[in-house]
Amino acid sequence: MNRRMRRIHRILGATIALFVLMLASTGILLNHTSDLKLDQRYLTWDWLLSHYGVTELQPDAVFLIDNKVISQFGQQLFVDATPVLQESRPLKGGVSQGETFVLATDEALLIFTADGEFVEKMTSSSGVPAMIQNIGLFHGDPVVQTRDGLWRSDFMLEQWEKLSLQGVGWSVAQSMPDSVAEQLQHYFHGKGISVERVVLDIHNGHIVGQYGPWLLDGIGALLLILSLTGIWMWAKRLG
Amino acid sequence: MSSITVSARGVYQTDEDFLSEVFADSVPKSQVVWLKGELRQSLSDILGHDYNGLRIRYWRDQNKSVWILEEIGKEQPITFGVVISKQKVEAVKVLAFRESRGDEIRHPAFTQQFEQVTLDGNKLDRQIDGISGATLSVWAMTSVVRMALYLDKFTSS
Repeated sequence: MNRRMRRIHRILGATIALFVLMLASTGILLNHTSDLKLDQRYLTWDWLLSHYGVTELQPDAVFLIDNKVISQFGQQLFVDATPVLQESRPLKGGVSQGETFVLATDEALLIFTADGEFVEKMTSSSGVPAMIQNIGLFHGDPVVQTRDGLWRSDFMLEQWEKLSLQGVGWSVAQSMPDSVAEQLQHYFHGKGISVERVVLDIHNGHIVGQYGPWLLDGIGALLLILSLTGIWMWAKRLG
Repeated sequence: MSSITVSARGVYQTDEDFLSEVFADSVPKSQVVWLKGELRQSLSDILGHDYNGLRIRYWRDQNKSVWILEEIGKEQPITFGVVISKQKVEAVKVLAFRESRGDEIRHPAFTQQFEQVTLDGNKLDRQIDGISGATLSVWAMTSVVRMALYLDKFTSS
């Protein structure tokens, strides 16, 4: 009986040694969270962000105008990484006009200064053609493509004439440059996942998902058995 | 030019249709007012936040001016059409409502409260009764009416 107990004790000890090391080390770290500034250090590893459900940014539209990156995420428009305007209609394109740039949705033109400050939204009530499909430039003049043809204006964007022409430089969607993507990642997802959160989740088992705490409960039960078998053997030896 | 399609959820009247209704199909050319200095500060005071935009477009015919303005209710912008005549509100309408609740403000029983309202200082000269469950939308409409009255006064002086 004593030999069998020793065997159980040895096997249990070897099985849970790694978990004990993990629990002890994470427990010590958590005890000193403030001293080690674990709540102020952040991890941005892709696999970790993905594990925590922080998914990769997926802009609905990206356009490069002069040196600015214009993007739309849902109803939010960004110039570079700065949120500038809520716009529910999808962005169709944009063109530069020197001191300003003009973005087109299917229902409106959005005017911005070259610095990215919002000036005005112009709709069909201001004379802008409806059902816009794209915007481009022809000899410096803005041209919009709509369902019923091409319309050309001047920098004021108030008078539009219908025309048929070739050689318009249409706005083309682009992919997001890495530098701006990184800033936007920071805007949407903050600094990342704090080290304290990761250590705590390792300690309580949440790091492996919803069954993690049950796994830790099992390890706890094994530790109880290990302690009881140890006490039993110790008492046997004394007796 | 074809008229804009009413496809967005909660668009009760297009800007164009509203203008045609107000000016009986003889819509004057639009004008713009640039928001600078004291005007910009006054609008910030009225709204309780900076106005997002450097200029505002409006339509004026003799003593009547029309303002199509947006203000956030709770999370989404509400589009209002405000008609000012002789520095008093002639009519206010919700043209587009994008919030999930609070659209009771569009009913004439509520908007009629604003008729003939004018500014007393920077505030309305009359108390506006609220609607339970639509407080933020009521605030947005009240702010926009104050803003339109202020802009009308500014642009006609």
